[in-house]
Amino acid sequence: MRGSSRRAFVAGASLALAGCGRAVGGGRQRATLWFAYGGKNREVLLSLVARFNASQARYQVTPTYQGDYFECLAKTRTAIYAGVAPTFTHVVGEVRPYLAGAGVLEPLDDYPGASTLGLVPALSQRGSYTGADDQPLWAVPFNRSTPLLYCNAAALDAAALSPPESWDELVAAASRLTTRDGAHTTRWGYEVPIDWWFFCASLAQAGGSLLDATGSLSLGGDAGARALRLWQRLIHDERSMRPPPGRDYNAWQATNQDFLAGRAAMVCTSTAFLRYMEENARFSVRAARLAGLVRRAVPTGGTFFTVLRGAPPAEKEAAWAFLRFMCETPQAIEWATRTGYLPVTEDAVATLRRSGHYERSPNDAVAQAQLGDAVGWPWSRELFRVQREIVTPRLEAAVLQNLDAARVIADARREAAAG
Amino acid sequence: MLGPSVLVLATFFVAPLALAVRDSLTSWDLLSPPVYVGLANYARLVASGELAALVGRTLQFALVVVSLSMSLGLALALALNRPGRLVAFVRSAVFSAYVVSWVSVALLWMWLLDADQGVFAAGARALGLGRVGFLTDPGVARLTLAVVTVWKITGFSMVVFLVGLQDVPRDLLEAASLDGAGAWARFRHVTWPLLRPTAAFVGTTSLIASFQAFDVVRVMTQGGPVKATTLLVYAIYEQVFLDLRVGRASALTVVFFALLSGLSMLQLWLMRGRGGRA
Amino acid sequence: MRPARAVANLLTLLAAGLWLFPYLWMVSTSLRPLSEIVAGELSFWPRAPTVEAYREVARTLPLLRQLAVTSAAAVAIALSQIAFALPAGYALAKLEFTGRRLVFGLVLACLLIPGQATFVPVFTLLARARLVNTFPALVLPFAVSAFGTFLVRQAMLAVPDSVLEAARLDGAGEITILTRILAPMVRPTLVSLFLLSFVFHWNDYFWPLVATTDDTWRTLPLGVALFREQGTGVRWHLVMAANVILSLPALALFSVAQRHLLRAVAGSVK
Repeated sequence: MRGSSRRAFVAGASLALAGCGRAVGGGRQRATLWFAYGGKNREVLLSLVARFNASQARYQVTPTYQGDYFECLAKTRTAIYAGVAPTFTHVVGEVRPYLAGAGVLEPLDDYPGASTLGLVPALSQRGSYTGADDQPLWAVPFNRSTPLLYCNAAALDAAALSPPESWDELVAAASRLTTRDGAHTTRWGYEVPIDWWFFCASLAQAGGSLLDATGSLSLGGDAGARALRLWQRLIHDERSMRPPPGRDYNAWQATNQDFLAGRAAMVCTSTAFLRYMEENARFSVRAARLAGLVRRAVPTGGTFFTVLRGAPPAEKEAAWAFLRFMCETPQAIEWATRTGYLPVTEDAVATLRRSGHYERSPNDAVAQAQLGDAVGWPWSRELFRVQREIVTPRLEAAVLQNLDAARVIADARREAAAG
Repeated sequence: MLGPSVLVLATFFVAPLALAVRDSLTSWDLLSPPVYVGLANYARLVASGELAALVGRTLQFALVVVSLSMSLGLALALALNRPGRLVAFVRSAVFSAYVVSWVSVALLWMWLLDADQGVFAAGARALGLGRVGFLTDPGVARLTLAVVTVWKITGFSMVVFLVGLQDVPRDLLEAASLDGAGAWARFRHVTWPLLRPTAAFVGTTSLIASFQAFDVVRVMTQGGPVKATTLLVYAIYEQVFLDLRVGRASALTVVFFALLSGLSMLQLWLMRGRGGRA
Repeated sequence: MRPARAVANLLTLLAAGLWLFPYLWMVSTSLRPLSEIVAGELSFWPRAPTVEAYREVARTLPLLRQLAVTSAAAVAIALSQIAFALPAGYALAKLEFTGRRLVFGLVLACLLIPGQATFVPVFTLLARARLVNTFPALVLPFAVSAFGTFLVRQAMLAVPDSVLEAARLDGAGEITILTRILAPMVRPTLVSLFLLSFVFHWNDYFWPLVATTDDTWRTLPLGVALFREQGTGVRWHLVMAANVILSLPALALFSVAQRHLLRAVAGSVK
């Protein structure tokens, strides 16, 4: 670790001194990758990049950390404008239709082997969107995930509960698992970031979809309101759910910490944290599919690799070589098993199955099985704006201040319609 | 002799303002060409209530910062305006916060105020206040950022007041003392009238500074919870870099500049009484 | 007399506590192992003090590079501001020419324009010039300081004209007058300007955040703030160790140059 970071520093410094040299020592073709992870994911990604760089002599991928998804995306877009964008990066699914529409992404169909990557359909571009069948290949799945229910097995067993299957069971279990010391809650039954992604999960479970049949924003109508009311009920009526503090991924971190510290008995967060939770919890962690209302449903999340159109062709070629490398079974498996993200190729899943991995890691089996509940995102240029400007700013207020759910949804639709 | 300076100032101060005015009349996401939309961005700012909310929040934040940092700065200047190594050390300690970077101060207070592991949260629990979400409760977060800002800049107002105190003639105070005036009377009738111009300077300077608050928001709360800490400059940043709404951000920029110019005029006007020292 | 003295002592004590405790807590946190952070230890002294946090920060953050970039940018800005302010201040204070009032007005006006009001167009300007994420992007927008120009002008106003006339009679050119005679006379002002500018830009977070895109030109405040964001979670001992590293140089400079800095701040008031 120490040696590699020093090497990275030396490499960075010498690059800087050499001006903006694109080709590095030994005539290797360089590609720059902007990524958005800290902690464990960062370590795993950097080790895979190092392996790629060591595995062949033609290409060299240089990774740079850029903050969380939103920061990284923000930096990428401004950098595209400023002409300092990386060769490739990884971005969340919601923004891809917008970026593709703005013409800044490289279509990947004609790159060698693009049609034979063997991707898991639900995690590929095609399976992750609805209404995108005529789109070129803009993206290769990288760290893909779905929400997952994490239960403190000891707490469940002590209360003789099994993971909730329906919303009603979720509410009941959360109340049973909440413990108080006077006015002070010592353990919350349930916790989930008040966040777009989890809102979309509830909305889909209530039978809604973000856009109506005409393609305009409906936020599921009544389903959207029911999704809000579920959280309001847990927080204000039952007082069994803690709304985690902080914005964007700060709230996610808070959720993880509360679970690990035993302050929340059940939390809903990304499959991405499976390894982290298992390794850091002092109790046994039991994963479960999310509870359903009219159906079981989860959105997919995480990111896809995306190559930027403005990069020089030689850099794009180097980036593509790395993407193919990441889709090879050993890397796909290593990335998935070391982090908790879902393996992105069918061969990786089959290999894991054959090796008995899913018997040894039943939580991984749950996450994998839940992929059957996945619902696609609408391929709409507006999707990202809907997320950033219409839904996200309203969610916290609606839930924390217990606003009338139907009115919140109606306001949001009105603003979306006004543009 | 002046040419180079004028050129740089024009490029990085005057031209950008003109560009901001121009961009404010467009809808632009940096990635596709800008589209002229007239005054739509301004109309939206006003009609949606966003402008009023932003200015209201910023003003509220600024008023807390100014009143607290001024009164605390003045009190400290009065208390610490005496010789002694210990007193000098405390003066340095208070002022050091002004020298340290905003990032340091913000991170430090994030840790002190952490709702679970922070010392202050533990203190609040020990006092039976329960769980205080200093940075997470929408009703508290803005006040928290204001108090952290006060911690950061009070050293500045203290130093300026100390300078002002040097202009208060000793013999005048001694004469008042001989006349039997108590400490409060001496302050009220001798010191304060002489300090008033200094106070006007400190007040307007910190008012302008708190209107420009950004780092503390960006590092500590990113504008949340529920927009409680989305102050003007952070809103501009968010609209450009996170939402790619350059037109809207430029309109906000123009409004922000107009507001600041107003405040600066106020400052110049208040300073006028300072006998050409402004 | 007595109650006033008691109140003053109380305030002194309070101030000492309020302004010293946070620093001490920062250092104490940085010397703890993770287990003590997780356990929420509130004892002031770490049970098992360790410098492991500093080691880990040094492993994860390109500290030396960020320190170098930060100091280089801050020094470049401070020197550039002096280099521009000297002739401009001289011209504004001592030379008669048409448009002098206009230019002085421009300087005063720029004094009122904060970076927060211009960063969007300045960013797009630099982007068009393909300068984003370069060293010049960190320095150029601040190359000239309206405030510095103003300070130097005020200092030069105080220099009697007779000094300049005597020099001119001796055949000194304008450059000689400026560099050999005036610059030494306004040295305290230049030192103030340097210190104020250096400290401000050493600490600056806003502009480097806007102007840089990767580790090549990231400054230390940016690096440390980003460090907290990268999923450090509860590992506050790491953040505080990075924070000690970030604040130490500023505090050290402050303790060394305290008199000058205080004078600079006081001077900027007058």
